[in-house]
Amino acid sequence: MAGSRAPSPFSGGAFERYAAASRPALESALERNLPVPARSAGALREAVEYAVLTPGKRVRPFVAMAAGELVRAKPAGPLAVAVAVEYVHCASLVLDDLPSMDDAARRRGRPALHLVYGSATAELASVTLLARAFETLAREPEIPAGVRARIVEELAVAVGAAGCCGGQAADLAANPAAIDLDELEGIHARKTGALFVAAVRGGALAGRATEGALEALTLYARNLGLAFQITDDLLDREGDPGELGKDTHRDAHRANFATVLGADLCRALVAELLDTALTALAPFRRRGAVLADLARYVRERRS
Amino acid sequence: MSEAPPRPTLEEARERLRRLGYLHGTVERFVFRRALEDLSGFFVPVLAAGAIALALAETAAVASSQFRYGGSPRSVALLFLELAIVALLPAGVFAAMLLLAAARSRRPGRDAAVSALIAAIGVLAVWLAGTWRLGADRPSTALVWGVPVSLAALLAGATVRAAFLARAFTRSGRLPERPRRAILGFAAAGALSVAVVVFATHREPARPAPPLPSPRRGTVVAVGIDGLALDSRHGPGESAIARMLSAGATGWWDARRASPAEIWTDLATGVPAARHGVRALEWVRPFGLPPLRPPLATAWYFRGVGLAARAVTRAPVSAWERRSPAFWEVAGSAGLPALAVGWWASGPWDGVEVVENREVLARSAGGLDADAVAIEEFERRSAGRALAAVYLPGADILRDDPAGRRAALARLWLLLDRLIARGRRGEIALVVIAAESHPAPGARGRVVVFDGAFPAREVRVRPFDVAPSLLARAGVPAARDLAGRPASDLFPPGSLETATVDTYGDRIATTTAPPRETDREYLEKLKSLGYLQ
Repeated sequence: MAGSRAPSPFSGGAFERYAAASRPALESALERNLPVPARSAGALREAVEYAVLTPGKRVRPFVAMAAGELVRAKPAGPLAVAVAVEYVHCASLVLDDLPSMDDAARRRGRPALHLVYGSATAELASVTLLARAFETLAREPEIPAGVRARIVEELAVAVGAAGCCGGQAADLAANPAAIDLDELEGIHARKTGALFVAAVRGGALAGRATEGALEALTLYARNLGLAFQITDDLLDREGDPGELGKDTHRDAHRANFATVLGADLCRALVAELLDTALTALAPFRRRGAVLADLARYVRERRS
Repeated sequence: MSEAPPRPTLEEARERLRRLGYLHGTVERFVFRRALEDLSGFFVPVLAAGAIALALAETAAVASSQFRYGGSPRSVALLFLELAIVALLPAGVFAAMLLLAAARSRRPGRDAAVSALIAAIGVLAVWLAGTWRLGADRPSTALVWGVPVSLAALLAGATVRAAFLARAFTRSGRLPERPRRAILGFAAAGALSVAVVVFATHREPARPAPPLPSPRRGTVVAVGIDGLALDSRHGPGESAIARMLSAGATGWWDARRASPAEIWTDLATGVPAARHGVRALEWVRPFGLPPLRPPLATAWYFRGVGLAARAVTRAPVSAWERRSPAFWEVAGSAGLPALAVGWWASGPWDGVEVVENREVLARSAGGLDADAVAIEEFERRSAGRALAAVYLPGADILRDDPAGRRAALARLWLLLDRLIARGRRGEIALVVIAAESHPAPGARGRVVVFDGAFPAREVRVRPFDVAPSLLARAGVPAARDLAGRPASDLFPPGSLETATVDTYGDRIATTTAPPRETDREYLEKLKSLGYLQ
């Protein structure tokens, strides 16, 4: 499994080229930094590998690395951020799929982790990955200590009550029949958007980005993250499970943008959000090409 | 079970997302977003920016070189509006070509930059070449136009580049680089500010005090003869006149080919066409505006589509577009009673009796008539004048009619014989000017003076020396800013005024442009007499 190469999910363009060029280093770092449990830990090591080293788009880590490159960071710092963000993301997916949460059967084209290793091991693997994410960041020597602390803080916020956990809790508690756009956005902004923003900001912070650059990148990440989520919801409603690699219509009983806004409105808003994200990259000119191309990918995304 | 909230509209959803921090309101996305939405989003900005920049460049060319416009903010503004409408067509063609190129571009970054460069250079070229071609003396103030024109060129270039990139992106998925919109805003604001400053601070130059004359005894009579070929054809009539003129003090210059209006206005003003502004026999008159010479790249409209659509009418040459005073006008302003009959680009002037060229031709069926009318008017009105001038076009009009030409020359001979006798007696100072607008190779223009018993001689002069010579002989100080100087070798010693003044100033018309109706009649007459095709 280690070092396995997934066929590129991106089609043409600067982001695809960037992802293709950066994927070996990322996959290698993801594998290298995996936690090594004690021998007596049973299947935990395999479960962690199963969660991380499966073919995935790796959008968040690539975004973190591209943001670092955009502010001319040395590669090691943004790579550490990318690894940490991907570990957090994988951990959140494992938790998301549990019977007590979304109760999903498939993830990334394979059976969900808890169906292979059991719910207890799945929960432990998730916590292990979360811890490893912060450990990876805290040990990265290429990032100055003060900046490291700031990145850790922002990532922690993105994971905690103001981030993924809070968003998931709100999602579980929400009444899908009565939810409105504001509430739905609040759920998304914490559940998925916060990690996306943390990835971009973390990569840029590792390169000691200016506050102006951070502000522009945050604007980009917020708009792109929401566009990404709305597209995700649309695909969940209209997409092909084989192409997506996961169950569809699993959110039918839960609040999502497709049900709240309708497909046409979703598409119109995605276009405007991506346009805004692109415009936010204007100050970076050519250097923003990779991140800007990601917006094009989201616009045309089918999986 | 709680009731589902109503589904928001796009506007409501957009507004709520904006409030939540998405769709950043301060981010300008005019060109790019529009271009992503549909074809018009690409086309319209290029069309608008191109038309505005082109119209500004053309307006600048006209205002820099055609002084009636430069002095009138209203005319400049109206002209700009009309030219902007006219420029929509070339800008539209350019935008359409750009659209095709962008859709097929394999290197949008480079191609967009090249397209932007072409647009910007095109705008600047229209201004520079247009100003040059229209023949102004390009005063330093014309350079001020360079600022708004440059900014407009920048605006056009930036718009072309942004739209090209956006279009290429929608078609090929190749990533555009984003233009710096702030620069465009500054460019537009800067152009506007400069234009306001230029127009607000422009004032008509103060009219200089008229020169104080020292009147001489006797009338100075100037007879201008067009089409007299003294150096080539030498038909029977010409030989006789040549012999007659050889008895006077002669100044000569190498003839050049130009329109009769330009040649005879050079002679009448003492300055070249670049300064007096009269070049062609025919101008055009846009709707609601004074006549003008079409700026570069607009001939298709002013001489084609606009004429066909009756949005533009033709306008014949007139004093309206002459910016330097003629010698009879200077004399009149100096208080000397003056007369001018039949001269090109002549018009009403305080203190001068003027029979315009259009009046003479209107009463003529041909060249013979034209000379007869001019001579009759001249002889009827010249009594008591300090300076009297008449222009005789018959020989020129009849250049392809040998019999008619002989008759015209015979009439000329009679007139000159009479006047030369008076000149020799010292009753008048006669100055005969023979110049041709269609000279044979090696031909010369001549000014022949009969002023008392002054002996025959031949000296080289410039055509610009004629006007100051006539004025100096009438006792009017010559202006130092003229291209010519009084030709003292052609007149008796002490007969010319030696004092000078700085300038006669510009000719500031006291009347409005001639009405369209008389323009039409005049044009028809010029056509029937062979001046215009």
